[in-house]
Amino acid sequence: MSGSMATLLILIPALPLVAAIVTAVFGRGALKAKGHWPVVLALAASFIASLLLLAQVSRQSAAGDAMVGWEATYDLWHWAGIDNAIQTPAHAVAAQDPAGVLPASLPFTIDVTLRADALTAIMLSMVTFISLLVAIYASGYMHGDRGYWRFFSYIGLFVFSMTMLVSVSNFVLLYVFWEAVGLCSYLLIGFWYEKPAAAAAGVKAFLVNRVGDFGFALALFLIWITYGTLNFHDAHGVAGILGQTRLADPELYVGGTVATAICLLLMLGACGKSAQFPLHVWLPDAMEGPTPVSALIHAATMVTAGVYMVTRCTPLFMMSDDAQHAVALIGLITAVIGGVIAMTQTDLKRVLAYSTISQLGYMFLGLGVATLGSITAGMFHLFTHAFFKALLFLGAGSVMHAMGGVIDMRRFGGLRRLMPTTHWTFLFGCLALAGVVPFAGFWSKDAVIAAVYEKAQHEMLFQVLYWGALGTAFLTSVYTFRAFFLTFYGPERVPREAGHHAHESPPAMTVPLVVLAVGALVVGAYFEWTGGFADLLSRTPSLAYATLHPPGAEHAPDTHLLIGAVSTVVALAGLGLAAFLYLGEPAQVLALKHLLWPLYWLSHGKLFFDEIYDLLFVRSLRLLARFCYWLDRFAIDGLVDSIGRAPSSVAAGLRSLQTGMLQFYALAMLWGVVVLIVTLLVWPAVAANWK
Amino acid sequence: MNDMNELALLENYLVVGALLFGIGLVGFFCRRNMIVMFLAVEMMLQGVSVSLVAWGRYHNDWGGQMLVIFILTVAACEAAIALAVILTLFHQSGSLDIAIWQQLREENQRAYVDREVPEELAEPEPQWPKLVPAGVEPEHDQEEITHRTHV
Amino acid sequence: MNDLIAMLAGATLLLAVGLWLMLPRAGATGRSLGTVLVAASLGLFASQLPRMGGWISDGVFFILAGVTLLAAVGTVTFRNPVYSAIWFGLSLLGTAGLFLFQGAQFLGVATVVVYAGAILVTFLFVLMLAQPEGHASYDRLSWGPRLSALTGALLVGLLTLAITSVFQNPVVSDRPAAAFTAPQMADEILADQHMAHLGARLFSTHLVAVEVAGTLLLIALVGTVAIVAQIRKPAGGGQSHE
Repeated sequence: MSGSMATLLILIPALPLVAAIVTAVFGRGALKAKGHWPVVLALAASFIASLLLLAQVSRQSAAGDAMVGWEATYDLWHWAGIDNAIQTPAHAVAAQDPAGVLPASLPFTIDVTLRADALTAIMLSMVTFISLLVAIYASGYMHGDRGYWRFFSYIGLFVFSMTMLVSVSNFVLLYVFWEAVGLCSYLLIGFWYEKPAAAAAGVKAFLVNRVGDFGFALALFLIWITYGTLNFHDAHGVAGILGQTRLADPELYVGGTVATAICLLLMLGACGKSAQFPLHVWLPDAMEGPTPVSALIHAATMVTAGVYMVTRCTPLFMMSDDAQHAVALIGLITAVIGGVIAMTQTDLKRVLAYSTISQLGYMFLGLGVATLGSITAGMFHLFTHAFFKALLFLGAGSVMHAMGGVIDMRRFGGLRRLMPTTHWTFLFGCLALAGVVPFAGFWSKDAVIAAVYEKAQHEMLFQVLYWGALGTAFLTSVYTFRAFFLTFYGPERVPREAGHHAHESPPAMTVPLVVLAVGALVVGAYFEWTGGFADLLSRTPSLAYATLHPPGAEHAPDTHLLIGAVSTVVALAGLGLAAFLYLGEPAQVLALKHLLWPLYWLSHGKLFFDEIYDLLFVRSLRLLARFCYWLDRFAIDGLVDSIGRAPSSVAAGLRSLQTGMLQFYALAMLWGVVVLIVTLLVWPAVAANWK
Repeated sequence: MNDMNELALLENYLVVGALLFGIGLVGFFCRRNMIVMFLAVEMMLQGVSVSLVAWGRYHNDWGGQMLVIFILTVAACEAAIALAVILTLFHQSGSLDIAIWQQLREENQRAYVDREVPEELAEPEPQWPKLVPAGVEPEHDQEEITHRTHV
Repeated sequence: MNDLIAMLAGATLLLAVGLWLMLPRAGATGRSLGTVLVAASLGLFASQLPRMGGWISDGVFFILAGVTLLAAVGTVTFRNPVYSAIWFGLSLLGTAGLFLFQGAQFLGVATVVVYAGAILVTFLFVLMLAQPEGHASYDRLSWGPRLSALTGALLVGLLTLAITSVFQNPVVSDRPAAAFTAPQMADEILADQHMAHLGARLFSTHLVAVEVAGTLLLIALVGTVAIVAQIRKPAGGGQSHE
């Protein structure tokens, strides 16, 4: 690896970390209201470094072999190492592995190794770009907050963790930073920790993520005992899981039930982090955090960690059709659930949160289809989604800022004149999310649906998924424009809390909105026309491998065109329905609500996931805890206490001998004398006479 | 006297000594008056003395009698000290009852109290000589009449 | 052997019941029955004793022993402590007689002089000093009379059983009486000049013990004075206010 690339790879995570530390140390005293500067500057530098890295990576990748891909690794240091962790007898090695690839002795090493490949470079660029914009935005949004410096310190820490997550080349380190972003998420959701709802939401996010992380950890154990290494790349003479050696020879991947188990456990981890059914319940509650956090972590970057991880592990998923189907199915279920619930939410941020869940479902659907085209489409959707979802959240934050913290759409409306910039940028975001030509969402969602459609030609299951995906696209369009119309159209209403805030937001907030809006308009079309995104991504070694086993046909432009037309029609239909319902008479909405009341009831109740989980897990666990408490309190404590009580009870018995009566002592003494007389005098004398 | 069965003599005296000791013991246990308890202790000493003299006679040895002489001495000392102590206690409590002194008992132990109170001894009314009324009757001190410290 | 045990057990039981009946109790009845039982018990004990020689010596011994023991029972059981003291005096006289019967002339006299003459009078003196009224409730109550009587009687029974069974053992009873042949005895314990022998032995062999005993008496004297001298202080302080 060239020196400059290594420097860039190190700088990208290191700068935010340094900025976070500087802010944490000096934020309270020296920086105060300037607390955002270190982080903003560091993120800007990181973003520039990411772009440079991306340029270098794309140049190197284009130069390399498309069937092999291109990657570079840079060892920082060895974190842990056990030589000879697994030793296999020589004859066993010979029997199991005639090719002689498996060494007789496997070391267990955790190298802190950074990697550069297309996937990492794209993720790094996206993360640092969105983070930079969000940080700039937050410098306006969070202005005057007591924890201003604390907020930026957390943001720096988060960007460090996220950039490390996408650039490390080892499962254990991936897990470490996986947890680190979870920690940052917890800290930022509970940023306003005086608010009970925020603290509870932080704990909920952390605990629900634990479930997924547990699966992830189990997957790591299984990978270790199956493959004998946890490195992505080849190192120490061991073929890494995603290293060139193994990729070149697919026979070295394990198939069967173990492969399925590994993939499903990995998927469980991804479900936790990326808020997929059935672990999606934490994400809507996470909206209790500050809005920039929602935009950065819970829409654009951190929740994509699961998508990133599954993409990274594509070769593993390739070994198990069942796992692929599971991923696709979970993706679709999540997409539908998110869409249905988003239809009736009245909280603007919650609508966006469920829409995030729904869009993440699309990404997993793309990954689950598991053709090269679908995976790149899923990643592409991730990429464009980051732009427009960050845009939407920041727009919602702008509205919330102006409305004095009110986010309930029933309490405001017709804000388009009051907040023109927010209105226009939000419209761009909505168009992109709904998938209207030529906005970013159209191209990426279209690509996903097209990939599903292609696969549907071969497998029945994907027919269902295809129609589900189209239906969800319709739902997406409806709920997006429902929120948009409720917020910006109709009679102008401003809640009392807004006070003198009810005006357009400051430039620090509107500039990122405009930048993102331009992005939402441009990135999709640009990359789709140039084809650069898919080409570059497919040079990632893991995905280059996928091209070696293409189950599907090659990209067919005609189907793409057909799908594009269909999805545009669907999106416009949804837009039309929303316009008909929410720009017209409110009575129509009410009538529809009465007509479809069971659906409304289910959707408004968020399909009652929280209640069901409460019944199934929280209550039963509480029952178990109560039993354990009882066991501890009475059985175990009782046992210990009774041991402690034994001497005192014996003593209590003996104490009753201490009467204080002189005669009693004398009598007791005499009984001793009687015993002595009997044993020493009477018994021998009598016994002697008896003979 | 020399034709006496020495073995039988010893046995008889030992049994008498044991009886004296035992009766003294019962007295020591039961009686509540400290002086009577003391008498009972002295009686136990007598029982031992009788046994010692008998053993001395049996072994034709002065040791038994010597020991009894010293027992007498020690008993005298003991009596002196004990009476002084009893007097001190009496001055503190106004009673010779041993049951008053139970402070050695454990804190949560109930004190020994008399569950049944003995019947009052029926004392005959004091009969005073009747005088022919002449002059003024002297004033009677009520204390004097009931307690009759001197007649 | 079984006869002996049964007899002694009966005697012990009689003694215990008799003593219990005689002891001061609330609502005490059956004191005369108790006296009879105790006397019967003493008779039973006596029946187990061997005869010593002629009827004169046996008679003298049994009269002396009976007086001593009955007086002892009286000491223990009488309600009035003054009577108890007087009964104790009688018991001491009986003991002195038993000493004389053994040939211990000095001890007999010394017991009467020291005990009955000095110690007992001191007791009575203190009794008069401390108990001018004469009828205290605690004198008419006993602590655990049943248990005490039983324990005391049991001890007596066990000791008697031990003694008699030892003397019934042929090894002991058939032993040649070498130790107490008449000439030797006359030379020592039963010598004509009893007091001279006793004094010589006391002031030669036991000289140190005599000195120690004398010192002990002195210390007791000083201690008694010290203890009694302290009485005045707290009580006197209280009285000075009146």
